[in-house]
Amino acid sequence: MIRAFASGLRVDLLQLVRSPFDMVGMLVWPVVFASIAYLLLGSASGGRTLFSASLGAAVMIMWGWVILGAGFALDNQRELGTLELIVGAPTPLVVLLSPVMIARAIFGIYGLLLTLAWGRVAFGIPLLIDDWAAFVAAVVGCILAIGTLGLIAASTFVLYRAAFYLGVSLQYPVYIACGLILPFSVLPAWLGPVSWFLAPTWGFRALAEAAAGQTPWPDIGMCFALSVVYLLIAIPCLAVFEHLARDRATLKLA
Amino acid sequence: MSAVVVDSVSRVFRSRQGSLRRRVAEVEALQDVSFAVRPGELFGLLGPNGAGKTTTIKILTTLLLPSSGTVRVLGFDPVRTPNEVRSRVGYVFGGDRGLYDRLSALDNLRYFADVYRVPARRKATRIAELLDLVGLKGRERDRVETYSRGMRQRLHIARGLLHDPAVIFLDEPTIGLDPVGARELRETVATLRDSGKTILLTTHYMFEADELCGRVAVINKGRIVAEGTPASLKALVTDRTVIEVVAFNVSDAALTAVRVLDGVESVAVEADDQAQVLSVRSARGVALIQPLLGALTEAHVTSVTAREPTLEDAYVQLVSEP
Repeated sequence: MIRAFASGLRVDLLQLVRSPFDMVGMLVWPVVFASIAYLLLGSASGGRTLFSASLGAAVMIMWGWVILGAGFALDNQRELGTLELIVGAPTPLVVLLSPVMIARAIFGIYGLLLTLAWGRVAFGIPLLIDDWAAFVAAVVGCILAIGTLGLIAASTFVLYRAAFYLGVSLQYPVYIACGLILPFSVLPAWLGPVSWFLAPTWGFRALAEAAAGQTPWPDIGMCFALSVVYLLIAIPCLAVFEHLARDRATLKLA
Repeated sequence: MSAVVVDSVSRVFRSRQGSLRRRVAEVEALQDVSFAVRPGELFGLLGPNGAGKTTTIKILTTLLLPSSGTVRVLGFDPVRTPNEVRSRVGYVFGGDRGLYDRLSALDNLRYFADVYRVPARRKATRIAELLDLVGLKGRERDRVETYSRGMRQRLHIARGLLHDPAVIFLDEPTIGLDPVGARELRETVATLRDSGKTILLTTHYMFEADELCGRVAVINKGRIVAEGTPASLKALVTDRTVIEVVAFNVSDAALTAVRVLDGVESVAVEADDQAQVLSVRSARGVALIQPLLGALTEAHVTSVTAREPTLEDAYVQLVSEP
């Protein structure tokens, strides 16, 4: 199973880097998101605030790539006819789909680096990371948590043919619920508890606190704990949706 | 014990139609289908497009659930114990789908070897053996998107055999291949048959079934309409004669005139380049050539030959019956 996971990760990363369309998207997103963050806050904001906004933009990119990328990848697998082959394989589906999510979350590292680099070069946002070890751990936790959250969504993508559009519909609600677009102070109070269950909330907090040299470890711990919880939810969800897909004949494109 | 058992299987597809007033449309793709495949046998499932061949294979390979009836593959139930079945069967479908285009053949095979649990120490050897078997040695590092349809199809076969399955399902594997590619693929299938694999092959090329299969079943509109050896199916039409007419400019009116001639049982028309080939079936002993030429006076007839019925004639008769 470990071999199948590693092999799946390699295949998905190779598919991604060999797709000019995906690569152009990956170049544009960080530039756009970092620019929006800077323009929203304005140059009057302090360097720490702008850097924190860049990290928020990077987390948004990570979630966007996971959720849209996963939808696109599942649609693509349907189109290629490989979805039937991986569903019909003896390896559990969760092992074969999780690399798709993790590969996209890993590209989040690239998104993070490009966002920070663009902020530095274009807007002069300083690179302010006080605790590098915690920051690296936060990145790993963030990738795992966001990737496994995407896996829960992917279980529905196995059933529905319009996976990409489902992904689109999940992108912005999570940004908003996690306080990545607007601060919690202007959001309804009930969104606070909702955000506790969403990986990007803790991923962003972990990154921001590690960068500021505060206490990121509880947030990093939450990222890892949520990853386990998401995985435990995703496994039965995948089994149920796979069964439904076999019943409704939706593994094939048409 | 049979390697594959399909017992009274039905499958209904439901789809929603309409925009405001939604209603559910039902299509009965399989209706009370039963057959069995013996271990080591190459069994053919013949039928026109939409007859239910692929649906049957997908149920057997765990990709679809039957609406009713029971299926067994090597004694395991694909519905209740899909993983037991998945590790023991190989599934190859026709066309150019089912591969990662941007990866090389080698990368595709390495990935599927891991997915289908080929032991790590066997992986490289197994892949080399299969590349050799399907004749792709030397091109394995090229991206699949640069492959011809025939090469993709051969790569499909290699992929389906990676885990050395006991039962192989081949769903129209020669569809869209050029004659040379199709012949090479049939040779590969014959090699697999001779090595003792149990194979279920679906096709609508009768000569393919005649050449390869020990037994065949004909499926039409979701029902099995005949089952037996190719010879026994041919025997269904041995009391018939087939007159083959090659002609140009055969109008619909002329075709209707041929169909209503005394003694004509069925007429199949195939386009062959600019010409049309009419296969006119009748009972043996009926003098049909003169009336036939009379009905085709406005067409330009280039040849008329009488021949013995083939498996294709038996098939056409079976799937033409109401």
